[in-house]
Amino acid sequence: MAAPLPTSQPHLAAGCRWATHADKPVVLYPEGMIRIQGTGRHILELCDGQRTVQQIVEVLAQKYGAADPAKILDDVGTFLEALQKKRILDY
Amino acid sequence: MTPNPLALIAEITHRCPLHCVYCSNPLQMVAKQAELSTAEWVRVFEEASRLGVLHAHLTGGEPAARADLEELIAGARQAGLYTNLITSGLGIPEARLPKLVDAGLDHIQLSFQDSQDGPAQWIAGAKGHAYKIVLAEKIRQLPLAFTVNLVVHRQNLDHIEEMIEFIEQLHPERIEIAHAQYYGWALKNREHLLPTPEQLDNCMRAVESAQTRLAGKARIDCVVPDYYARYPKACMGGWGRRIMLIDPSGRALPCHAAGVIPGIQFDSVREHSLEHIWQESAAFRMFRGDEWMPEPCKSCDRKTQDFGGCRCQAFLITGDATATDPVCSLSPDHHLIEIARATAAAEAPQPTWLYRASVG
Repeated sequence: MAAPLPTSQPHLAAGCRWATHADKPVVLYPEGMIRIQGTGRHILELCDGQRTVQQIVEVLAQKYGAADPAKILDDVGTFLEALQKKRILDY
Repeated sequence: MTPNPLALIAEITHRCPLHCVYCSNPLQMVAKQAELSTAEWVRVFEEASRLGVLHAHLTGGEPAARADLEELIAGARQAGLYTNLITSGLGIPEARLPKLVDAGLDHIQLSFQDSQDGPAQWIAGAKGHAYKIVLAEKIRQLPLAFTVNLVVHRQNLDHIEEMIEFIEQLHPERIEIAHAQYYGWALKNREHLLPTPEQLDNCMRAVESAQTRLAGKARIDCVVPDYYARYPKACMGGWGRRIMLIDPSGRALPCHAAGVIPGIQFDSVREHSLEHIWQESAAFRMFRGDEWMPEPCKSCDRKTQDFGGCRCQAFLITGDATATDPVCSLSPDHHLIEIARATAAAEAPQPTWLYRASVG
């Protein structure tokens, strides 16, 4: 499995879901949880299986103004691929 | 301040149709009439969730031997827990599977004994391999996380590559290659289970190669077994630090094997709240922190990583539960492990197994 395409529609993998722990959002998966904050959390919240990677990048580019969209696409791809290899995300 | 537990291991029954020679259940098992009721388990799940537990691992024995498994899953899920079912698959007819999903099951971990029917039956002391394959196909069609677990040991490691390829065909997201651990029934059968150093090297190479090949398809977990490691495992993430195990009769233990250590009184969820047991019970406090530690642990800078290793293993091998885990290369008792390894490296006789007993 390679990095996501701009047209990929990422979503949490089967059996992985959001929950709250110690008043903070976490993602639960079979072996544990990820405490996820900041940009990572923002990206993951956008992964609803509907939005494409390209659309996620547009949302982020708008939010972070000056950032170069090509750079954001690259960073988001790396982040999503890492979670996909952990089998927490699919696209 | 004691951190809250993160995981609850709910050993809901010791009944099991299999008799695996490496079973981690205690030699003294709990009979059906002593098991907690549905309502008692549901209360345990609610208390666990309030205590900060995130994951409930429903295990056994074979958890599907309980007719109320669906209710237990629903109870755990409604309490807010992530629900994980650790099963042999036997006792789950195909028609029961969707009911488990409807009850709120998040993840299923299905165990295999081998890639081949004959050897699987020899290890499990019962038939079931062919049905597990059928069930795996059904699981894959459901919205669940799916892990396949395979226990590896001297008798099957010579075809580790074939076993990984077999599991790959079942399309799980996760593959757990678990080296047998020597407690309970496995300790009784250790001389026929402990791998040779060559088998272990080959296994780790095969796993690494499969990890590369399957990257993005399945995640493969496999750790070097502690008999061959330089330092002990951080057993249960430290005694009374992260995990609480409730046995079928409601006794709360810090791990699967703690019942072997003489002189510990394990409190029951029938008499105390989980919070009280976690915070106050003598059993959970006994090896918490480093007060109890002998040298070389006490002054070792690894003590915050491995917590002195496993108390049950220390007791089972040295007769002293407060000893440094003998698998540690720094332990004064480490020669006992070296002898076991040397025995494994020698020519092995045809195994005569002590099969895990049945429980009524």
